[in-house]
Amino acid sequence: MNALLQRYGPLFWMLTAALFAVMVVRVFFFTPVEATMGPVQKVFYLHLPAAISTFLACTVVFIASIGYLWQRRQFWDDLALAAAKVAVLLCSIVLISGMVWAREAWGTWWTWSPRLTFSLLLWLLYAVYLIIRPAIEPKQRRALVAAVYGIIAFIDVPLVYLSVRLMVDVHPVDVQLAPAMRTTLWISFVPVVLACVGLIAMGTLALRRSAPASVPQASAAGPASWPQVSLSMKSGGVT
Amino acid sequence: MNATARQLACLVFKDLRIEARSRQTLGLMVMLGVLVVVVLALGLGPQQVQSPALATSVLWVACLFGGVLCFEKTMAIEREDGALAAVLLAPVDRGVLYLAKLISNLLLMAVLALVVMPVAVVLLQFDLGPHLGWFVALMALSFVGFAALGTMLAAATGGSRLQGGLLAIVVLPACLPLIVTTTQLSVRMFAEGLAPTASALGVLIAFDAIFLVVCWLVFELVVEP
Repeated sequence: MNALLQRYGPLFWMLTAALFAVMVVRVFFFTPVEATMGPVQKVFYLHLPAAISTFLACTVVFIASIGYLWQRRQFWDDLALAAAKVAVLLCSIVLISGMVWAREAWGTWWTWSPRLTFSLLLWLLYAVYLIIRPAIEPKQRRALVAAVYGIIAFIDVPLVYLSVRLMVDVHPVDVQLAPAMRTTLWISFVPVVLACVGLIAMGTLALRRSAPASVPQASAAGPASWPQVSLSMKSGGVT
Repeated sequence: MNATARQLACLVFKDLRIEARSRQTLGLMVMLGVLVVVVLALGLGPQQVQSPALATSVLWVACLFGGVLCFEKTMAIEREDGALAAVLLAPVDRGVLYLAKLISNLLLMAVLALVVMPVAVVLLQFDLGPHLGWFVALMALSFVGFAALGTMLAAATGGSRLQGGLLAIVVLPACLPLIVTTTQLSVRMFAEGLAPTASALGVLIAFDAIFLVVCWLVFELVVEP
């Protein structure tokens, strides 16, 4: 896996960069300007793919957290950490691009509508995930607490998705687009999702490389930090 | 009374007996709750505190910070002199340990609410009148989810550098979906006179069920002396 990423990594990023360039050219030169919002509407082609990619990254954190609790392998923790970083980055892009949209569409940078509130909450949850990690020692316990938090934080993801459908919200639900705009949107999804996947993979690989070679793995009996007590039948007591 | 119920009662009484003797946690959390109400009431000024929406929010802020202090202190007491290690060695299911700690925390939080609510009613000129029953029901439902999460996270982060008030950073974002729902329902109730609908209460109960089951399942993984 590592060799594969090292070999095809540069090619992957070159392809992703090229697709980003295609996306930018397509958005600015081959997509009609929206009638009511004008050029600001073009931020939508970044906003929606970034939002879906945020959900993807959060789902990876969730699955990796379950994986860690199940198998206690360091790989799952590294994957969850890398995905959480990407989730925070993408959620920041979603929030900022959404604010640019909101300023033009609703005349305000921010409004406490359910979807916006839960999106901000999502950013906070994963930012806290990153902030609390260095405060927890030793490494196995850090991974364990982070895994538990990663599972709980995921509860907000369906809330962000469903909020606009279940509650009264100013945020649009189903946007009707002209065919050219819809094609641009689909084209925009490709580089953003690729970048999301690539960043998670590269982040995980970087964490695997930086980890010391002889990290003890927690046993199924309990965390490695527990005091080890052995029973000796010969001496007839606890040693 | 079967064995599990007896163990549960024994552990809860142990916690309450410690609290009755030391009187540390309850005193601190009640004082913090009252202080939050006073400070926010002073900060908002006499014109704004009469808004039911603000009064509800102030009350919630007081309960949240009081609650976080409660989770932190009750778990810290367990860690003194290796008491938690001894409890974990006892032939008791870890799920029962979690439920016992949760019930202890809920009882302490009920006392906090009983003290802070009258203070808020007086200082914020908060008319609970026609909605008292619904308001208590909403607070009780939210407390269950909040305490379920707080109890587990206090056990998970205990012994780390997250102690000393920083537990709030972990607990508050995680329980915010529940708090947002409750405060929205409370605001609608006091500002618009609308009682919570069955579906809204269903959402709160669903949050409680999710938090309770998830935390109960993972408690045995995260608790350690």
